[in-house]
Amino acid sequence: MLSRIAYAFRETWASFRRNLTLTAAAVLTSAVSLLLVGVTFLVQRGFDNLLVRWKGDVQLIVFMTPDATTENVAYVDGVIRSQPNVIDVNKLSYLDKPASYAEAQQLFAGDPTMLSLLTPETIPTQFKIVSLTDDSALLRSLADQYRILPKVQGVSLAEDEFEVISTLSGFVRTVTIVMSLVLLAVAVTLIWNTIRTAMFARRREIEVMKLVGATNWFIRIPFMLEGLLHGLIGGVLSCGGLWGLNRAWESGVAGFKPGTGVSSLVVPSGYVSGVMILLLAIGALAGAIGSGIAASRFLDV
Amino acid sequence: MIRLDNVTKVYGADTVAVRDVSFDIAKGDFVFLVGPSGSGKSTLLRLMSRQERPERGDVWISGKNVNEMPDSRVPYLRRSMGNVFQDYKLLSNKTVFENVAFALEVIGKPRHVINQQVPAVLDLVGLADKADRFPDQLSGGEQQRVSIARAFVNRPLIMLADEPTGNLDPATGEGIMQLLEAINRSGTTVVMATHDHRIVNLMRKRVIQLDRGVLVRDQERGVYE
Repeated sequence: MLSRIAYAFRETWASFRRNLTLTAAAVLTSAVSLLLVGVTFLVQRGFDNLLVRWKGDVQLIVFMTPDATTENVAYVDGVIRSQPNVIDVNKLSYLDKPASYAEAQQLFAGDPTMLSLLTPETIPTQFKIVSLTDDSALLRSLADQYRILPKVQGVSLAEDEFEVISTLSGFVRTVTIVMSLVLLAVAVTLIWNTIRTAMFARRREIEVMKLVGATNWFIRIPFMLEGLLHGLIGGVLSCGGLWGLNRAWESGVAGFKPGTGVSSLVVPSGYVSGVMILLLAIGALAGAIGSGIAASRFLDV
Repeated sequence: MIRLDNVTKVYGADTVAVRDVSFDIAKGDFVFLVGPSGSGKSTLLRLMSRQERPERGDVWISGKNVNEMPDSRVPYLRRSMGNVFQDYKLLSNKTVFENVAFALEVIGKPRHVINQQVPAVLDLVGLADKADRFPDQLSGGEQQRVSIARAFVNRPLIMLADEPTGNLDPATGEGIMQLLEAINRSGTTVVMATHDHRIVNLMRKRVIQLDRGVLVRDQERGVYE
């Protein structure tokens, strides 16, 4: 058993060295495509952070001042609910201080200055309103009504903040997903081609192996291992790239003025680590698929 | 040991390589398959090692029907037979020792077995002192000896040789035949395809003659006609 494992690794390494140019091409393509997959995840997470406020078709947010009393809140709640023909009262939600504070943690993840200014006591609470109409003029007149209510700090409209970002987010998601899928397919094809070339270069050896009674799996495994390593090394490189990009992004965002909202695009480091593990897994899988197909199809020599 | 029952092999739509061939080869036999090029000698050897399957008929090796054998069992069938070819099929990037060891390595034999069996078989074929040479540093006869050593290192029950003397001068060819005879004397059944009249006439073994895929003669202690 040990000698078989040693044989598989020795042959994998030898093949790596023999096919250096093709191997490098396969590994780099995997790395670039995986990096793009990683960037897609991070960008999406950044947009999600930015849009967290507007989750669930929320169109209006009424912010209450931090010193608003229960009576003030109940009064505003009553005013909002008094227009059930315009407002979806079943979806009306009120975020108290702890809930608003938790939301701010995500929203301002990359803005420590802003976060340090907020405490569960000083944070404004909010009403999230889903309307039954898309009439922009009507929504604006509602917002104007709410703004003058006592202890209302301000009213935000989805139309102003959300829609541009939402459209942009959808566009970026489509483009990055399509590009990363195309590049992943290219990486699988390149790995497939590299393994096919490696098998062709060793066709005489494979012929002899079959004649002396080597099993197909014994012949296949070093090639499959080689493809798996292509994907895995590509994955490791893409993780390095993603880490560097994320660091550069974080320090770039830190240069913006607090409160501009750009800081929401910073993702937590735990999420980045999760994406890296995912990239390694996708890389290994892509390598295994490419080499597995090649090793099965081209064994008949 | 080897039995063919009404075996027919067709390539493509209508190229009949072997037509309705039947014979029995007992354990320990030495058999020549003779006939001109294209008469079906190599096809018969390929059918025996399941590199090909017949369109009709059955091929039996050691009591097993190799046509009905699942693909996963074929490697184990091949471990019981050694193959020798006219073009040696040696790996040029491996030394003599490594070429022979390769046959044991790929069937998972441990290193200590390899280190014991390879020198012994190289000694048998007279190449003990050339274990570190590469194939292109050897003569044709020596390369064929390496190929025989690789085929025999696993002590197979059957040795299939396809024109093993085809590329060699008569004297070297005789040396190879002496080696195959020695292997046969150790109990291995040898089936050799050849169109070398001189060797067949010299050895006087059983001769199975083919002509355009048809068995035309099966004779004990025969000669090439």
